[in-house]
Order: sequence, then structure tokens, then C-alpha cells
Amino acid sequence: MNLFGTILNRRTPSPRRKLATLVGVGLCLLGLTPISAAETRAPLPPPSALKVLTLEQLMDIDVTSVSKRPEKLFEAASAIQVITAEDVRRSGATRLPEILRLATNLEVAQIDSRQWAITARGFNNVFADKMLVLIDGRSVYTPLYAGVYWDVQDTLLEDLDRIEVISGPGATQWGANAVDGVINITTKNAKDTQGGLLSAGAGTAVRGSTGLRYGGQLAPDVFYRVYGKYFDRADSVRISGVSANDAWRMLQGGFRIDWNAAANDAFTVQGDTYSGSLGRGDLENSRVNGANLIGRWSRSLATDSDFKLQVYFDHTHRQIPGSFTQDLNTIDLDFQHRLAAGASHQVVWGLGSRLVADDIVNTPDNAFLPPKVTRVGFNVFAQDEITLSKDRLVLTLGTKLEHDDYSGFEIEPSIRAAWTPDKQTTLWAAISRAVRTPSRIDRDLFSPATPPYRVAGGSHVVAEKLIAWELGYRRQLMPRLIVSVATFIDNYDDLRSLEPLAPPRAFPVEASSGIRGRSSGAEVTAEWRATPTWRLHAGFTELRVHSEPQPGAIDRSTRGSIARDPNHQFRLRSLWDISAHWECDAELRSTSSIPSQSVPGYTEANLRLGWSPTATWEFSVVGQNLLQNRHGEFNTPLGRREMERGVHAKASWRF
Amino acid sequence: MAFLTIARVWFWRFAGRACTICLLAFLVPRAVAANPATPAAEYQLKAVFLFNFAQFAEWPEKAFTDARAPLVIGLLGEDPFGAYLDDLVKDEKIDTHPLQVRRFATIEDATPCHILFISRSEATHLGNIVAQLKGRSILTISDADTFTRAGGMVRFVTESGKIRLRINVEAAKACNLTISSKILRPATIVTAGKD
Repeated sequence: MNLFGTILNRRTPSPRRKLATLVGVGLCLLGLTPISAAETRAPLPPPSALKVLTLEQLMDIDVTSVSKRPEKLFEAASAIQVITAEDVRRSGATRLPEILRLATNLEVAQIDSRQWAITARGFNNVFADKMLVLIDGRSVYTPLYAGVYWDVQDTLLEDLDRIEVISGPGATQWGANAVDGVINITTKNAKDTQGGLLSAGAGTAVRGSTGLRYGGQLAPDVFYRVYGKYFDRADSVRISGVSANDAWRMLQGGFRIDWNAAANDAFTVQGDTYSGSLGRGDLENSRVNGANLIGRWSRSLATDSDFKLQVYFDHTHRQIPGSFTQDLNTIDLDFQHRLAAGASHQVVWGLGSRLVADDIVNTPDNAFLPPKVTRVGFNVFAQDEITLSKDRLVLTLGTKLEHDDYSGFEIEPSIRAAWTPDKQTTLWAAISRAVRTPSRIDRDLFSPATPPYRVAGGSHVVAEKLIAWELGYRRQLMPRLIVSVATFIDNYDDLRSLEPLAPPRAFPVEASSGIRGRSSGAEVTAEWRATPTWRLHAGFTELRVHSEPQPGAIDRSTRGSIARDPNHQFRLRSLWDISAHWECDAELRSTSSIPSQSVPGYTEANLRLGWSPTATWEFSVVGQNLLQNRHGEFNTPLGRREMERGVHAKASWRF
Repeated sequence: MAFLTIARVWFWRFAGRACTICLLAFLVPRAVAANPATPAAEYQLKAVFLFNFAQFAEWPEKAFTDARAPLVIGLLGEDPFGAYLDDLVKDEKIDTHPLQVRRFATIEDATPCHILFISRSEATHLGNIVAQLKGRSILTISDADTFTRAGGMVRFVTESGKIRLRINVEAAKACNLTISSKILRPATIVTAGKD
């Protein structure tokens, strides 16, 4: 998490980055002076703000840009946290989900050696289906259950540029599935990853890992990098202390080419491929593989206008012996145009389409019917950011209209306002509607594979709907201390339920949309740069989730288990530069119990010691989960897996 | 536009009331004085980099006469920073050493100091300047193109509008200076005689 993190203009923005910034993405109260659209040069933040930035952040500031429009960072009208590359390095994390623990507005629970439940604002689950996750503009949720297979989402962590985590709906800009939050992961431009990097690590949870990257120049303005990585992860343990036999390993490789064709044009082509074998206790291992290819073109048309065109292809294969085998192909096309309309209107509009071809080989026990499905979705959106009072009050209105084969047309409007009475304060509020469109698990899952079904797919399942009310406040209390509060009330309708078809018998059941719910809570974060060599981050989240059957619905079983969320969680992180070559970082996290799953509350701590003897070598040792021999974070006792206290050592060499 | 006017009035009222009720204690607007002599954005940033070097480089103990001796940032040649740099380091301390900016016309005057920024105006005799400072624990920084080739320690390079660092670690070591990995990590390391 980085409250001081700035979001600055870049030559080759990741898809949707600018869009996101338009709604005020960015969390800093640095007092970046907003200027009118007529000015061509963005003034820098005041010295007091520049002095607390890291070297990396200073190097990200464009001093010459004739650019564009400055993003009004301190006016962010949403609950956003930014994780920087420096945060990632110093977390000692070995996987994306571990990194996401740095965003204190997320619920992050490790389920077993490879599975995670990650969401914001409630309804967490291994099938958590209300978060949108993007890696370099590529959506990584599976339309199978509208959630994320975290085991196959990876990249070379050293190449990560930043992760923006927004809690709360982002559907107006990001579309269906951005119901409770958006996680936007971007990797560095190839120009910034020149030269070689070799890293190797070993420990208890990660038995072995290695990564290699090399970046070079193909032509004067064309840069590339290629990378490969491998890891082998150890088992988690059952509550009884017996190994869960869920060790797994993955091999991944990829490339990225960035070409600044002209002053106004930038092209990016990138791709990844992976293959892995996943332990499943006493059952036969699952096999996964996949590949993706992204092409992106961005052109700036004028100082206040640019467009972006992106297309990607994504293939995933997952074979779960005894359960099902899935081959999923996705083609996605996205276009966005940004323009200024008069001095006080910034308009963004765009359209997109996605084709998803899903092919499942079923087993007798359960089946997705029909096994083969091809869905095409379309969306169009427009948003206007209106400056009602220069430097003080900005209103953002917008809506998305999208069509989905399962649920037809959906509209996702929002209204956001950010008020900046002075350079140290922002007060923001938002009302938004978001939907989660039905996934295959809602509509097409039958068990067993032939009638009579015990569990039947629900042809009547409609989209889950959310109306969210948000109110937030940020304040730079002192030059080195920023505090942020985001509060929300979320009202959900048509949440997924399982309705008994022959009550009072519990089975058969049919998937339906019979639950409504309400969640409310507050997310408080603070970042204190106590001294130039010592930073503290803290986050506290309070959450209440309530759900009940809708009139006419009779499902009484799902309701009790739909919310698997701790009422409060607290995280504290300290980053300390001991000397020119030594770093010591600590992380404390505390989570209250999850009553519906009888998961006890827990407190855990990580400790990292880093040593950079030269500019090219770095060594680190991380102690993980130090406070207890082992602890569980999610699931009912029978299925719960626990993580043991561990240690991890890593060396990396730049050449 | 009538709608906008109504919205504006409504929002001002609403926001004003909300502010009064909830946040009275917090909302103390601060006056922000504009500095008439603000240098270009490039030099504002470079000034902040100088401040960072003061924080994240280490000098041998004998570089300071006592614990309260100032850490001096020297400027040699034409001053591109103006009062911005002085304001930036005003009231700042590195451990017990207050920061101080001093301006020097010639290299012979440039003592004592801990960091020396060499202006582009001195580009023609960089070799001579570096030779004069040989063996002294002074961190030399410049944005002149040939600075690291001439034996200087840190060079600012502006690439695609962003400031990058080229650092000759060996040259700094030879003068008993330690530069933190915090600075070295995002920098490009060069060896003597290279750009």
C-alpha cells in the first residue's frame, strides 16, 4: 500500500490506466496543483510533497511532458490503494496473493498451498466472484465461476510496476464483475527492465524458485525483455497435523516488446505461457497450462485527447481428474477515446467486445451442460468529469451499457464527487450500480451428469445487482502523515441461492437468485514517513455482512454460509533502512474469526532482512508466519488447511 | 447549463454544511505561498534528488568537524536552482547535521562541502574540476553530458522527460563515500570513462 504513491502520466499507459485515473485514481494528497485544460505543462507538487517520495517515484515524474492533462491525484473519488514495485520487493512476498495482503482494503485468506480467497467488502470465498482482476489490461477471471484461479496468475515479481487496488464498485469504467473492487496489475515497460536479472530462492513454503529475465534493445526505440520462472511449493497441513499433499509446481515464461514509434504513438506486444502440476491430496494431480498474447496501440491526438486500442487472446486449459477438463479461449477487443469538451469537461468513451469459447469435458458426477458454450458480450460506456469549481469540486458522471448472452442488457451508472477544500484535504462521495453477470457455474452446472439431478443449473439465474453508497475522506495531517477513511453501505439483490425443488426435502435444488444482502463498513489507512529511513503503513477494516432470502425464496441453507468474512482486520507494516546496505521490514496482521466457518481469529507476523552489498547483488531472508507453529485462515474445520511457520531465503543478481 | 448552476449551488451548500458539521476540527486551510523564482520542473526535481543524496549517502566521520557541523550542498557555476533549493533544505537535518547550500564561482573556492553540484556552465573543464577534488570526500553530481566520463560520480540524464541516474560507484568508493542501495537500485551503474 502506498498512500504517497503518485500516478503520473506515462508514455505507454496500461489499458484503462488513464481511464481509471480520470475517476481520480491515485491517492496522494500531495497537493498537486490542478491546472486548467488550457495549460500545457503540469506543475510539480510542492517541495514538501516531493521530499517524501521515493527515488523510484521521483524518477517516474515527467518533467518535460507537453502532456495531456494532469491527473488530479489528490481528488481521487474512490477507495484506492497503490502497491509499488518497492513495496513488492520489500514485502518478501513470493506470489501475487501474498503481495495483495499489502492492500489493507482487501480480504486475503490463504486456503491451502495454492488456493486463496480474495475480495473486498465481503462475500469472500474460494469462488469469490465480485472482484475484477486485470494483468496488463487482460481480465483474468474465469467465466466458469466469475472468480480468479489464483494458482495460474503470475509474472516475474521483479518486473511488476504497480498494483492499483480499488475497493468498491468500478463497473461504470471496468464493467460487469467489478462489483466489490478492481485489482489492476501492471508490469514495467520493457525500456525499464533492460539488462539481466537472475534470482533464486529456497525455503519451507517455497521449496525452490528461480527466475531469469533479460532485456535489450532491438532498434533505437524498440525495447524487449524475455523472462522465465519456475517454482516448487510445499504442502499445507490438515488440522490434524497430517500433510495435505497439495504441493505444486509451475513453469512460466513470457516476453514484452515496447515500441515508441513516434512522439505520439506507442505500441506494446506481450505474452506469457505457463504449465503446472497441482497436488490434490490423495487424488491425481491437476494439470494446467495456458498462454496469452496482447497487442496495444495508444496514440495521443492533442494535449487533451488520446485513444487506445487493445486486443488480446487468452487460452487456459485445466484438467481436474475425476471432475472436469476445461479449455477456455477468450478474444477481447477494447477501444477508448479521451477528449476535452470545453474547459471544464473531460470526456472518456469507449466500446469493447469479448468472445469466450468454453469447452468442458464432463464426468458422470457433475457436468456443465451444454458442455460447449460460446458467448459474445458487447459494451459501450461514456463518462464525463465535470469541474464545477476549479481546483475544488469535481463531479464525475458516467454509465456503462453492456449486453451479455445470459442476462441481456445491463446498465451500470455511477455518480462521484470529490471536494478539495484545500491542498491537504479531500472529501469524496459516490453512488454506483454494479452487476455480476451469471457465470457457467450458476446456469450450467448439473449433478449428477444425467437426470434426475440433485443439483440443477438455473436457467432463471439473473445478474446479481449492487447499489453502493460510499463516503470517503483523506487528509495530510502532517507533511509526512496521510490518513484515509472510506465508508460504504452496499445493498445487494438477486444474490445466488440454491432453491429446494421439493421442500421440505433438502434436495434436489436448483440454482436461483433468491438472496438479498447488505454490507457496511469502513476502511481506515495511514502512512507515516516517520524519518527518511523509516516508514509505517497501517490499515484497519471493519465489516458487517447481512443476508436474507428475498420474498418468495425458500433457500435457508445458503444464507448462513454466504458471508465468510471477518468483522475486523488490522495490518501494520514497517520499512526500515538500517544503513546504506541493510534493510529490516516487518509485517503484523490480525484478523478476527469467521463464525460461519468456525475459523478462529489469528495474528501473524513476517520479518524480512535485506542486504545489498553491491549495486548488483541482493540477499534477503524472510521469516513467515512467525507467531504460531501453524494457523488456518479459511474454510470449515474438515476442509481447512493450515500454513506452518516458515523461512525463505533469496538471492538476486543484476547484470 | 442551468442544471450545472443548480448543481454547483447545491453542492456548495451540501459540502459546506457537511464540512462544518463533521470536519470542523480538521479543515484548516493553509495558505500556500507561491515562489516567484521557481525554477523549471526539471531543476525542481533535481533539487529533490540532491536532498535525497544528502540523506542516502554516507560520509566518513572526519568529513564533519563536529556533530553539529552543517552538511553542505555546494553549487559550482551558474545556479539553476535559485531559492528553491534553499527553501527545500531549510530546517532539514541529516542526523545532527543541518543542511546548508553554498554557491561557488570557481573550484578553488569550493570548500568545504559534502555534495558538489557542478553546473552545465562548467562543462568545458570538468576534467580539471574532478582532478582538483581527487581524494576528497565530496559527492560530485552534474547534469553535464560528459561528467561520468570525466570521472564524476553521479550524472543526471533526462530520458523521455524523466530523470535517470548514472552512478560511478567506484569513484565514490575511492573517496570513502558510501551510496545507499536505495539510490543505486534504480540507477544505472557505470564504470570509469563511460557515459
